[in-house]
Amino acid sequence: MKKIFLLLGSLLFITACSTDLEQAPPNFASADSLTDFEGVLNAAYYYQLGATTPLAVMGEFRADNAFMFEAPYTEFDVYTSNLTTMEDQFFGPLYTALYKSILSANNVIENSSDATEIGEAKFLRGLSYFKLVLTFGDVTVNLSPAPSLTDTSILVRQPATDVYNNVIIPDLTDAIDVLDATIVDGRASKYAAQGLLGKVYASMGDYASAEPHLAAVVNGAAAAGISLKDNFDEIFGAANEVGNSEIIFSTQIVSSIVDEYSFASRFWNWFVGDDSKSDFPVDPDLIAAFDAVSGDITNPISDPFRPDNGDLRRRVTITTSDVTEFDPITETNVVIGEEEVLTSSKFPKDGGLGSEHDWIEIRLADVILLYAEALNENNAPASTVLPLLDDIRTRAGLNSLTGTVTSQADVRQVILDERRMELAFEGHRWFDLVRTGTVDAEMGETVNSNYYVFPIPVSEVLATKGVITQNTGY
Amino acid sequence: MKQTKNLKKTLLLLMGFCFALNLNAQQKTITGVVTAEADGLGLPGVNVIVKGTSTGASTDFDGNYTINVSGNDAILTFSYIGYVSKDVTVGGNNTVNVTLAEDLAALDEVVVVGYGTRKKSHLTGAIAKVGGAEVAAIQATRVDDALAGKLPGVLIQNQDGSPGAAPKIQIRAASSISSASNPLIVVDGYPISGGIETVNPNDIQSLEVLKDAASAAIYGSRGANGVILVTTKKGKSGKATFSYNTYVSTSSKYRDNILMSGPEWAANARSQIAAGNWTSTVATQDPAFLEYRLSAYENSPGAISPEDWLFQNGNTMSHDFSMSGGSDDVNFFASVGYQNAEGVVITQGFERLNARLNVDAKLGDKFKAGLSFNGFTSNRDILGHDMRDLLRAYGISPVLHTEESIAFVQALDAERQRLSDAGVPGLSAPFDSGYRGSGYEASSIYDLEPGMAAQDWQYGRANNGIGGSGDAGPAAKLDNTDSWEKTFFGNVSSYLEYSILDGLNIKTVLGGDMTDTQAYAHRLLGFDSRARDSQTFMNQTDLKVTTVLSETTLNYAKVFGKHDVSAVAGVEFQTTKLVGTALAGVNVPDTAIQNFNLLAPADITVTERDETRARKSVFGRINYAYDDKYLASVSLRRDGDSRFGANQRYETFPALSLGWNVHNEAFLADNEVLSKLKLRFSAGSLGTVSFLGSYDALSLLSPAATVYGTGFLIPSNSANENLTWQTNTETNYGIDLGFLNNRFTLGVDYYTSDIKDILINQAQSEILGNPTSILNVGDVRSSGVEFELSARIINNDNFSWSMSGNLSTVNTEITDLGGLDELPQAIYGQSGRGPVFRNYVGGGIGEMWGLETIGDVEMEYLADGTRNPNNQTGESYVVDQNGDGVIDRTRTVEDGGDLVKIGQNTPDFYWGMSHNLNYKDFDMSFQFQGSHGAEVYNIDPLYYGSQWGGRLDYARLDANSDGIADQNGEYYERNRNQTDAMIQDASFIALRNLTIGYTLNSDLTKKIGLSSIRAYVAASNLLYIMGDDYTSYNPEGVKTSGSDYLGPTTYGAQVGASPVVRSFTFGLNVNF
Repeated sequence: MKKIFLLLGSLLFITACSTDLEQAPPNFASADSLTDFEGVLNAAYYYQLGATTPLAVMGEFRADNAFMFEAPYTEFDVYTSNLTTMEDQFFGPLYTALYKSILSANNVIENSSDATEIGEAKFLRGLSYFKLVLTFGDVTVNLSPAPSLTDTSILVRQPATDVYNNVIIPDLTDAIDVLDATIVDGRASKYAAQGLLGKVYASMGDYASAEPHLAAVVNGAAAAGISLKDNFDEIFGAANEVGNSEIIFSTQIVSSIVDEYSFASRFWNWFVGDDSKSDFPVDPDLIAAFDAVSGDITNPISDPFRPDNGDLRRRVTITTSDVTEFDPITETNVVIGEEEVLTSSKFPKDGGLGSEHDWIEIRLADVILLYAEALNENNAPASTVLPLLDDIRTRAGLNSLTGTVTSQADVRQVILDERRMELAFEGHRWFDLVRTGTVDAEMGETVNSNYYVFPIPVSEVLATKGVITQNTGY
Repeated sequence: MKQTKNLKKTLLLLMGFCFALNLNAQQKTITGVVTAEADGLGLPGVNVIVKGTSTGASTDFDGNYTINVSGNDAILTFSYIGYVSKDVTVGGNNTVNVTLAEDLAALDEVVVVGYGTRKKSHLTGAIAKVGGAEVAAIQATRVDDALAGKLPGVLIQNQDGSPGAAPKIQIRAASSISSASNPLIVVDGYPISGGIETVNPNDIQSLEVLKDAASAAIYGSRGANGVILVTTKKGKSGKATFSYNTYVSTSSKYRDNILMSGPEWAANARSQIAAGNWTSTVATQDPAFLEYRLSAYENSPGAISPEDWLFQNGNTMSHDFSMSGGSDDVNFFASVGYQNAEGVVITQGFERLNARLNVDAKLGDKFKAGLSFNGFTSNRDILGHDMRDLLRAYGISPVLHTEESIAFVQALDAERQRLSDAGVPGLSAPFDSGYRGSGYEASSIYDLEPGMAAQDWQYGRANNGIGGSGDAGPAAKLDNTDSWEKTFFGNVSSYLEYSILDGLNIKTVLGGDMTDTQAYAHRLLGFDSRARDSQTFMNQTDLKVTTVLSETTLNYAKVFGKHDVSAVAGVEFQTTKLVGTALAGVNVPDTAIQNFNLLAPADITVTERDETRARKSVFGRINYAYDDKYLASVSLRRDGDSRFGANQRYETFPALSLGWNVHNEAFLADNEVLSKLKLRFSAGSLGTVSFLGSYDALSLLSPAATVYGTGFLIPSNSANENLTWQTNTETNYGIDLGFLNNRFTLGVDYYTSDIKDILINQAQSEILGNPTSILNVGDVRSSGVEFELSARIINNDNFSWSMSGNLSTVNTEITDLGGLDELPQAIYGQSGRGPVFRNYVGGGIGEMWGLETIGDVEMEYLADGTRNPNNQTGESYVVDQNGDGVIDRTRTVEDGGDLVKIGQNTPDFYWGMSHNLNYKDFDMSFQFQGSHGAEVYNIDPLYYGSQWGGRLDYARLDANSDGIADQNGEYYERNRNQTDAMIQDASFIALRNLTIGYTLNSDLTKKIGLSSIRAYVAASNLLYIMGDDYTSYNPEGVKTSGSDYLGPTTYGAQVGASPVVRSFTFGLNVNF
């Protein structure tokens, strides 16, 4: 009988062995299983890629630097509710990518024990929310790596000022505290965070708070190995992007890596005329702006056929092509000069798919100009402000403005103009106009301020049954 | 009653006449063999009694008996449990061989239920049963094909007629709107990871389908789609028997050719023109051009319609060996089966090999043990390219060029030049200037060589020759594609059973199985006449599913006087692992050998799976019957499944059922007409997990390469710790009636089903990381009625005739979608040519909506009526439902548009009917299946006709282009634009099988040393009646894959369904 119970016992034992309902796949990771969150941080960086093309298009085509050619893309050049039709192309992918970057960053911030990783994640989260606020104004704030699927109250959009004060500023402040000053390509650093924080304050109109941060970058740059490149064209192009001393932070792109939003990495495409929607994107207004400074030169080029004999940045920013003439003596076509083509060569097609350019987020010239702007707004005298522009202008083959302009308003204008020339096709222009309140003046038309921001993706409004609201006017 | 009695007397009298012809009283010895009707095998232990005496004998292991009778008028009564008893008058014979039929209505018939068996008379749930012999009698490549029409409440739809393709099996109502509703397959108690096709039809003893919740609830979370229990054959003690079954068959597509070749088209065009039907469309053509084109169609050498090339007669052969036997202690059954089937479409084929071994042993008085193995491999060759597209070819050329066809195209080009020079307009372009690529075979018609695949462009374009789109020829398309699927399946399971006390047993089952499915498809450069790299691909997947099951049950069964109690309680653990890789390659190089190593690394995408699913269950059931009158059954199962959210991992599934055998009550005991009256009621709840992924409740970071190094990307699921079962609460009301000793029986079941917490992919904010999440929202309600009728119409020694029939209805309504009025609408078909599929509260699942049409736009308005073979206008007049002057096919009439419901692919009712007849040594059976009221959106005619039509001469139809035809003031619209012009009736009535067999006289058989030999001829789909407006090859066909196919919510689009197959078979069953 005992034997039998032993046997029965063993029968049951066969049955009871193993079977754990807690299952997780070995070839995937989860927040619970990870101990090293570097891969999650990498994802947070990677998702910034999805915002590059939208920012490039919004920053330039919405403003007076570029224009669209083909409907419905031409909605970018007018200020009506019809812009919502561009959702799938631009605002939608930007929105999705940035909130994914935020989720990844939240995961690192909540779960990692590495202070530097957390600092980088906070930088990326601050950057993401900053881009969202610039694009949409009020936005939903999510600081959790696993937000509730059912509690829709967490989706309610928060006022932009709250997003600035409660998320962006604290995140960037924390990042400044822990991050190293040394720049590693594509990675957040102390000065990237500080430069960004300066820009954030400037965008809020709080120039008093902006100034010290921008000053810290400009003054600390040299020690951290950050300096302006000698020639303007050395900043751009795939060949120049490795260890470039001027670039403080960029989003890395290589064509061999799959990009979730397949056009994200191809922002250059919109500028070089490769897309029929923007065959000749350069806005004549930008050319006029370059023409306006043609007299203000330090090293005039004598060739009368070259229309770029003013600002040296012109040739980098606007494409030229050879003009030829048939020579009856040699019976061949000879180049007699160049003409401008209404496309931009600032980011030429590089590599197989052309997607080899990094997206420059912050470079020293941008910070210097912002610093000058902050000083001017904080009532520093023109003689203090304008010398800051000298290195940039000298590199562009232009004279120093010191002494030529004196009033605060004039200084404000020359800084804005300088930003336009220096940063054209880098996705800044529209946001600069909005920040400085010069949309109507610069665009030469009255733009309803509803259209300073872009429409929230309609799919978000529908999916949340209206908890996420649409911007006024759209 | 009296009348019936009289009838009975008359019958007896008649029978008396038949058997009393030779009255001759003298003592003699009768010998004979008693065999089972189903398999022709000898029945051991049959009681043979001389009627009216106590003289008796019983048959030996082979069914032989010997008995002494008093004379020729003696009557022998043969009786055997579970079989219909038979009386035979001896007459002048010394040998009386008898065949006994299984008593389908026998009170003590045993039915397999979950984790046990039950007497049929004690059943309280809704269970359909089919015997193994009935399954094996149909020469199908798969078990499920053989079930078509046999079971009430079980819809078997031949969605794809290619050999080896899985039919749709739907038991009662669809239990999900998220995915297919495939039932759970349990073979000899083991829920297998493979499909039912892994079971050899010849190995099946019986097959039971648990339909209602109360029956299936013991399978808890897996029972909601119904459960199919397969019981395979076991060995019997006694002499070993050996059986060999073989057949060969030849098959062809049922429907005759429906497409015209170029020459046929020319003849048709000439007769239409002569009849004056095409006057105005022809008038637009220069007469010289018209004649040039028509004579080119007529004279194209070797031109065949694509059907003549694509379809063939397929041959199938099948061999099955089985052996069974045993001693008192050990029994075995072993079998090997092989089948090789060719499809009726070239390149289609199916080959399978099965092997089974079942061994059962008694280990002393207390222990029993057994071991079984089933192995299966199959190789399915699949048509490598969309059939619709292959049939869309123009029929203007041979498949491969010949000397004649090359000379013809060159002469046609020269003739074009001659006419063009003579001033005939539109013929100036040489054929070589057409729409073609270079680098693949010939890029000029002057470089063609015999044997090259004919391409459309080589016959010019429609306006300068008789070619068409510049598409590759069908041979080039098919020869440059390949697609196959291989399956390997193995299942081993063993059990040990111990009898603790009389009536109380404990049993442990341990087993494992593995299914390995490999699929491959490629498309090479030559597929495309323009030789575009971007048209190539090469995909390979390999998925291994292994499961380990262990289960221990305690069984108790005892009869105490009038109380019959049985109970089972058990625990079960099952672990399933899925390991697989998928390779997807693009830009496949144009080389003779294909290999992934030849592709650039960036052109290969790899997906890997490594998943584990675990389930733990406890379950129990108590059955109780009092005096065979009052029946009750209660069951409970508690399942834990790793796929659900941490908060909702366990669920309990209870069921209750009651029955009342009213005919056993005293007040009905004397009733001779009504032999059975049973009322049944059951209610229970079930779960569904089948379509949930292993980790849908988890939020998993997927590894991917980024510029920054390895990135753990945002999960494709949001974590949902509350993700849980869909629960299906079902109530069943049944009544069983039997008349005249159950010679006629009728069963009726009515059920309602309410599925709550339906798993739906709901849209959500992107802030959560994904645009959708699977949530438990929604409610679907269904109800249905099922009828099952059986009759032994005639049953005497020389002639018997029995029939059974069934009819079922299902009605389903979506009652809640988690606060939504409607799921997002989807257009599913081919390249947006399909209906608008709507799923909304108050509607059915997957309703097809579109514009209502009121007639075709006439051929007269075609820009160029003779343009290419099978040309149609492709447009219809449509109704502006709301009269707003705009045809809006994006919104319903209710929402201000013009969409109306145009169809749905669920039948109003479906039925089956089978007959079995025996006359002396001959047997005959036939099986009908029918389905009524379902519709398909059949895209094929659009493609066959002039590349989906729409080449109207709008200047004549609608001069001011306002969308309203000038001549009749009606709106017109392209058929492809979500109209009901493509909706066709999918109803059908099929004579699925007809078999006529002859069993050789047993005396003769014995002489050659066999126990029985039977030869038969059979036909499948000898008759297949389709709806009047159905124009393709298979009304049951629907597309079940493709990028925007979303499961049941977009079900009903037909795109190139493989045809209904008619086959003729000759077969032989030999038993030793």
